[in-house]
Amino acid sequence: MSKQQFLEVRGLKKYFDAGRPSLFSRETRLVHAVDDVSFDLRRSEVLALVGESGCGKSTLSLLLMGLEEPTAGTITFEGRDVTHLKDSERKGLRRKIQMIFQDPYESLNPTQTIEEIINEPLLVHGIAKNKKERDERVKKAMEDAGLKPAEVYLSRFPHELSGGQRQRVVIAAALVLEPEILLADEPVSMLDVSIRAEIINLLAELRITRQIAVIFITHDLGSVGFFADRVAVMYLGRIVEIGTVLEVLEKPQHPYTKALLSVIPVPNPRLRHERIILQGETPNPIDVPTGCRFHPRCPVAMAVCKDSDPRSIKLSKTHSAACLLLVK
Amino acid sequence: MESTISHTEPKNQWLIRLQNFWRTFRKNGIGLVGLAMLVVIITMAVFAPWIAPYDSSSSAAFEVGDIYMAPSAAHLFGTDDAGQDIFSNFVFGSRISLTVGFFAAFISIIIGGVLGLVAGFFGGRWENILMRFTDIMLVIPDLPLMVVIVALTKPSLYNIIFVIGLLGWTTTARVVRSQTLAVKSRKFVLRARAVGAGNGHIILHHILPLVMPILVVQAVLVVSLAILNESTLSFLGLGDPTALSWGQMLNYAFGRGAMSTGAWWALFFPGIGIVWVVLGLTLLGQGLEQVLNPRLDAHHLMPSRPTLQKEHVESDQERVDSGKVLLEVQHLSINYINEGNPPARAVEDISFTLKQGELIGLVGESGCGKTTLMLSLLRLLPSAGQIVDGSVLFNGKDLTEVSDEELNTIRWKDISIVFQGAMNALNPVRTVGDQIAEAITRHMHDFPHEKVQARVTELLDLVGIAADQKDHYPHQYSGGMRQRAMIAMALACDPQVIIADEPTTALDVMIQAQILELLDGLRKRLGLAIIFVTHDLGVVAEICDKVLVMYGGVTAEYADVDTIYNEARHPYTQELLKAFPDLTKPKKKLSSIPGYPPRLDALPAGCRFAPRCLLAFERCHTEQPILHTVGDTHFASCHLVEASK
Repeated sequence: MSKQQFLEVRGLKKYFDAGRPSLFSRETRLVHAVDDVSFDLRRSEVLALVGESGCGKSTLSLLLMGLEEPTAGTITFEGRDVTHLKDSERKGLRRKIQMIFQDPYESLNPTQTIEEIINEPLLVHGIAKNKKERDERVKKAMEDAGLKPAEVYLSRFPHELSGGQRQRVVIAAALVLEPEILLADEPVSMLDVSIRAEIINLLAELRITRQIAVIFITHDLGSVGFFADRVAVMYLGRIVEIGTVLEVLEKPQHPYTKALLSVIPVPNPRLRHERIILQGETPNPIDVPTGCRFHPRCPVAMAVCKDSDPRSIKLSKTHSAACLLLVK
Repeated sequence: MESTISHTEPKNQWLIRLQNFWRTFRKNGIGLVGLAMLVVIITMAVFAPWIAPYDSSSSAAFEVGDIYMAPSAAHLFGTDDAGQDIFSNFVFGSRISLTVGFFAAFISIIIGGVLGLVAGFFGGRWENILMRFTDIMLVIPDLPLMVVIVALTKPSLYNIIFVIGLLGWTTTARVVRSQTLAVKSRKFVLRARAVGAGNGHIILHHILPLVMPILVVQAVLVVSLAILNESTLSFLGLGDPTALSWGQMLNYAFGRGAMSTGAWWALFFPGIGIVWVVLGLTLLGQGLEQVLNPRLDAHHLMPSRPTLQKEHVESDQERVDSGKVLLEVQHLSINYINEGNPPARAVEDISFTLKQGELIGLVGESGCGKTTLMLSLLRLLPSAGQIVDGSVLFNGKDLTEVSDEELNTIRWKDISIVFQGAMNALNPVRTVGDQIAEAITRHMHDFPHEKVQARVTELLDLVGIAADQKDHYPHQYSGGMRQRAMIAMALACDPQVIIADEPTTALDVMIQAQILELLDGLRKRLGLAIIFVTHDLGVVAEICDKVLVMYGGVTAEYADVDTIYNEARHPYTQELLKAFPDLTKPKKKLSSIPGYPPRLDALPAGCRFAPRCLLAFERCHTEQPILHTVGDTHFASCHLVEASK
């Protein structure tokens, strides 16, 4: 059970068919949603995946969950290649990797009670022999997710709960299977700021008490600081910078990371600072720019950036970034 | 063993759901009338032998009386061409009509439901095949086909049931398919997949419960259709001669001279029977739809109740000389009327001023009343909302008291709103430029027609959209661009004040920064005053001049932006600031505020924040603090502020 053999992603790609541009053209166009992504995840580690919408971070999470089939690349979990599994083979794996979704208002079935929702994964996997054992597991998961006392919530419906409570229900429904990896796709972006801290603290607690590794997907680089061990910044289907939290937040090397950091609202008007506001939006992943994908929006782009696609450059044992400015 | 245990639980849940359903349905007049009409007929059918004075199935019925006797005490509905009692036939006929109706509908619903579910859920080739088949079935006229099939086969009751059932499923299949498609794309289905659930489980536990309400409504309508079809077939002489349905009665009466002898009763009563049942079913179906179909919910922006009569309040805040005061909200209180319960005090005693070119941040958690407050400024509250006190002075005019006509001249032209999630409110089939042009012409009737397009370009330029994108459709715009378009629309009539309700909440940080930069630039260039409603103190710090922090419908703290962030006095503001990740200290643990905001219909007796406040003492739980003046431009409602004075 060596550290390296927990979760390994190598050269993962996912292209979606975007149809033909016109009725008479031969070639179909491809959406390069995830384009050559590699990273490792260690046991009980928290990795933050940061990027704007359209950068491919949600597709990446669906690939990791096996809800989408990758175009190329491999996913290895505990030494086993799990890239292409049949549904029957995947079921066991599903217990170990669970997902938390962005919108707690949409990700709960409005016709189910909280008990039914949290009990459901147990039924699906046929875990726990009798009702007593199931009830105990449901209760434990709820209390670990901060829904205490569990009895109060069991017979309620999602619409009777607040946003924060609903997100706790989603987390409890994931915990009930005792997973080893939690994939959290923007778990707090729909919640009030005061509730966000609660949910992030809860996830931070779980990785300590339950030894769960967390992949925390977010567009807000500001929310990862306290919680994550490492940060990967994605742009247009690629990881452009990856490193420990301190390396990325304090010594960002890629111009995109620098810009993302500069626009995080600072809750103090005395610290109003110069922001690098990138104009326009992430380009369409159908027509990926030539050379460095970031060059059309890059404030420090050079002539060479247009033609040459930078490879990831190692800056330290843990820190690497893909930018031609770093080439010496 | 296991299955028996797990079975008892859901049953109770279904009972609860049924009770909940009945509670809402009870209030639905149309549905109740329909249900009552049906109950009458069904009771009649069930207890037919006890209700009918003569048993039409026995030969005794033939000796009842003369043919075509007018209605009398002995024969309530008169007699028919064979001298039989029409009332008795009517009562027994209901059995046949209802049986055919219900059984045929059952077949239709099962076929339509299964096909719709399969087509909608699995999609792809199956969907194509099934839906094209459905389309073909829809194109073939039902009635002639039924007539042909029944005429070719033996016209027995079973045949009729099968023919009607087998031909009547098409609409059900289409309705179920579209609902399945809608449910399938919802996030909780994806979550169930992520949990590891298979197709069967998902259909049974996630799709079916949400398709069921629509299926029930559809079933009721299909029953009425089946009864009509049976009547038609029978009237055409294709009914089962051994089973006397209402349609059959009409057929006999019509064919055997009831018209020429003037025996209207022989046609009238069976006709009434059919109309009664179909009407009852239709009403019930409509009632059920109103209760069950979530899409028919009333829009939340309906005209609000009139403002309560109130005493005029004198302005108690001194007008500051610098900058013209545009908007002055004084002691504004809003209640939500809740039938049978005490009103919910959504907003209580809020005051603030807004000067030209000023940007005020209205901050609070969801449910703190900030959206209610904002909507009330233009009297756009939902119908239950009522302004009970206070005034909204715009250029000296009290907006809570002006007439609707006058308010209409102010809405949009002087004060406009960018709603939360508004970027999703663009009409998908019209170009963005077109929709902005409409905003101009609708609100400014005298705007010269030839200048509209120029104005649209000008507005798009203001918000940073290139003129050549004017003729694009909303789907060609990204989220950030759509939000810009919505801001352009809000600017259409050169307003003095813009109310922006969470304009950046669903957007990425970079787009959020772009929108903030845009709003900040607009107020500097156009001298706009902006009310910025948000739950994010960080966003506020970037651009606001002053901040009003709301909690549980009251002002927690109101001060200029620097004071709020550096000298906050209210514990709520202090806690909110601590909940914010600090980039300069990335490893610091975030503090969260335990508990949840109070429900507005169950407010605590004392300070509304007391139950969550770490500094609360006895007085906080019994007495609501007033808004204390801390400094010239700093107000806070906390007992601690008073104590420290």
